[in-house]
Amino acid sequence: MAGAPARPVGGVRAAYRTERRKLASQLAPRLLALVCLLGPFAFAGVLKVQSGSPADTLYGVWVHSSGFALSLVVLSFSGAWGLPLMAGVLAGDLFAAEDRHGTWKTVLTRSCTRRHLFAGKLLAVTAFALGLLTLLALSSVAAGVLLVGVHPLVSLSGTLMSSGRSLVLVAVAWLACAPPMLAFVSLAVLLSVTTRNGIVGVLGPAVVDLAMQLLALVGSGVWLHSLLVASAFDAWHPLFVSAPFFGPLVVGELVSLIWIAVCLGASWLHLRRRDFAGATTSRRPGWVLPVRVAVASAALIAVLALAGNWGPKGITATRLKASITPTFNNLTLLQQQQLGREVPAGAKLNVLPSCSRRGSAPAGPGDWACTLTVFIPQPGAVPFQQTPVTYDVTVQSNGCWKAQSPPSFVGQQTMRDADGRQVVNPLFVMYGCLNTL
Amino acid sequence: MTPVAAVRARGLVKRFETTCAVDAVDLVVEPGEVRGLLGPNGAGKTTLLRLLFGLLTPDAGEVELLGHPLGPPDAVHLNGVGGFVEAPAFYPYLSGRANLELLAALDRGTEDRGRVDEALARVGLSQRGADRVSGYSTGMRQRLGIAAALLRAPALLLLDEPTSGLDPAGVRDVGALLRRLAFEGVAVLVSSHLIGEIEGMCDSFTVLRHGRVVWSGSAARLREAAPGSAFRLLTSDDRRALELASGHGGVSITRSPAGELRLAARTGSLDAFVLELGQAGVAIRRLELLVSPLESMFFALTGEVEVEDPVALAELADEVLAGT
Repeated sequence: MAGAPARPVGGVRAAYRTERRKLASQLAPRLLALVCLLGPFAFAGVLKVQSGSPADTLYGVWVHSSGFALSLVVLSFSGAWGLPLMAGVLAGDLFAAEDRHGTWKTVLTRSCTRRHLFAGKLLAVTAFALGLLTLLALSSVAAGVLLVGVHPLVSLSGTLMSSGRSLVLVAVAWLACAPPMLAFVSLAVLLSVTTRNGIVGVLGPAVVDLAMQLLALVGSGVWLHSLLVASAFDAWHPLFVSAPFFGPLVVGELVSLIWIAVCLGASWLHLRRRDFAGATTSRRPGWVLPVRVAVASAALIAVLALAGNWGPKGITATRLKASITPTFNNLTLLQQQQLGREVPAGAKLNVLPSCSRRGSAPAGPGDWACTLTVFIPQPGAVPFQQTPVTYDVTVQSNGCWKAQSPPSFVGQQTMRDADGRQVVNPLFVMYGCLNTL
Repeated sequence: MTPVAAVRARGLVKRFETTCAVDAVDLVVEPGEVRGLLGPNGAGKTTLLRLLFGLLTPDAGEVELLGHPLGPPDAVHLNGVGGFVEAPAFYPYLSGRANLELLAALDRGTEDRGRVDEALARVGLSQRGADRVSGYSTGMRQRLGIAAALLRAPALLLLDEPTSGLDPAGVRDVGALLRRLAFEGVAVLVSSHLIGEIEGMCDSFTVLRHGRVVWSGSAARLREAAPGSAFRLLTSDDRRALELASGHGGVSITRSPAGELRLAARTGSLDAFVLELGQAGVAIRRLELLVSPLESMFFALTGEVEVEDPVALAELADEVLAGT
């Protein structure tokens, strides 16, 4: 009699192809693909018919000026909410669905081992996640370029970047979000494997993302904020300053990799020895475990909130002044150029900055006030005319800030340039980043 | 050279908390053999099949399938083994055909549509193959499960209650199919809690009770050891038949609540009693088997009723009728 071959025939590739086909057959991934494809165009279309702009978001004020800014705004929105949610929808039900449909026994009684199925599922969901991320990136760039144009982008230091450099940096920014997205995919896999509950798997990453965003607002230490994988979605910001620094990017990617390794390792340890005992004896999906997880998570978040001051202070008045002053200088010169005034190469304003944090602690993220006093040479007994400009500055834990000044100081959000066109007033809202590490 | 057993399990034990679902079970299924795995609900049949499929890790004992040890749970692969445990389960959002194509891909790395068409045709699902599984009846899912098992041309089939949900024609078709596969050399282990459904298709039986093997052997040996059978009897003179039975050691006749006669006969006693009725001028107008020898043996082994007593066997027949 012909015995069975000693080695499995199916293998990882077979499991991957099977899972890929299953994912492609489901409604949720198809809808996600549709949203990734059409969402940026819809967003750009809405902006086109509206005069306002999402100024609270990094680069939001520039969405009418450069197509690349639109892509970056989409990336900022996606990093905050979209990508963790997308990760949950793709991977949160990946393993739990086998429990819900009772199909573990179907797939585990073929020629593929658990190891193959686990690897195949991971490869398939990774391919889908990266595919959707790429689709969203391409769609957002295409929407920006087609509906706004390939105009140069203003850097986070206030200088103009060429279209080519802008495009490269935008591509790198999207690429930098792949590891944190895969970290959330891994988290969704872990929740899916351990809870066997698709709802927990799908919504869990978004809830964890929300918790991390809240934790990022607490405390002024560097270490905890660096370990939050949600912060890695913003790690591309320092690439857009005129002298880029890479510390946050490296830390963000490493933290993402650690999250991936821990989540997937724990998932596999749980799955590899699991007994598939059927409906009568197996643990059915229920709410006991999710409730326990929620209680444990709340306790963990409380402990982490207390650890928010762990490490050196990344955001100080000195660093903020060093970051906001050149940006203000460059944007002022850009404004003057747009107004048709002659600006000599290498021109520099005499600016005396003064920054203080609202509240008790003089360091950390939150609301700051910066007064930039410009000394303008003038003839006469008083050699300088002092012009103070006060900005309300919101600083995030990753060191990136947004500064806004009342129109009485810097004018309205838009202005007419030398050719009479309506353009963004560069000084109305300023964005920048300082190195917290 | 001794052929390799398709299934060889030694001393299998599986406990769930305080319950021992499978208790020191030994099992051998040879190539070309159709073995029935019998037992009432909760006897441990499904747990035993899950152990054979590698879905559960035994607390003790070992399993060889087609000559190969089953291996640790994360490395179990079942080349050459087909079948299902409990009700076959599929992805409801896919068609029956797409489900089979996915399973074929898991087996061979290709979707092998020719084999899928062939498997669907063998179970009579060609016309419904394009429909989503969510719209399938229980019987259709059962047929699809059998198709999934046949898809890989198995050398060993492990089937958990394959006739569940099938109409009588479906049960007959499955029986014929399994006999044909066995003739081709496939080893088949088929579980059921209804011996009547698989009696005709099995060469041998293993009977479980409370997780332990209480009997194992060929169908012929089981019939020989059977305590008896029960029949519905209709005669030209019921009163005379009752009188004759009272003086006959191997048979017993009772009246059912509906007034019909129930004849319980120990193995080997029926022929003599029928001749006696004829000699006494009592014509037999109907003699219908209600409880077969194998069924009576099954009930005796599983302790559901005490069938050594012919009256109890007749009462069992009434229960069978009430069930129908």
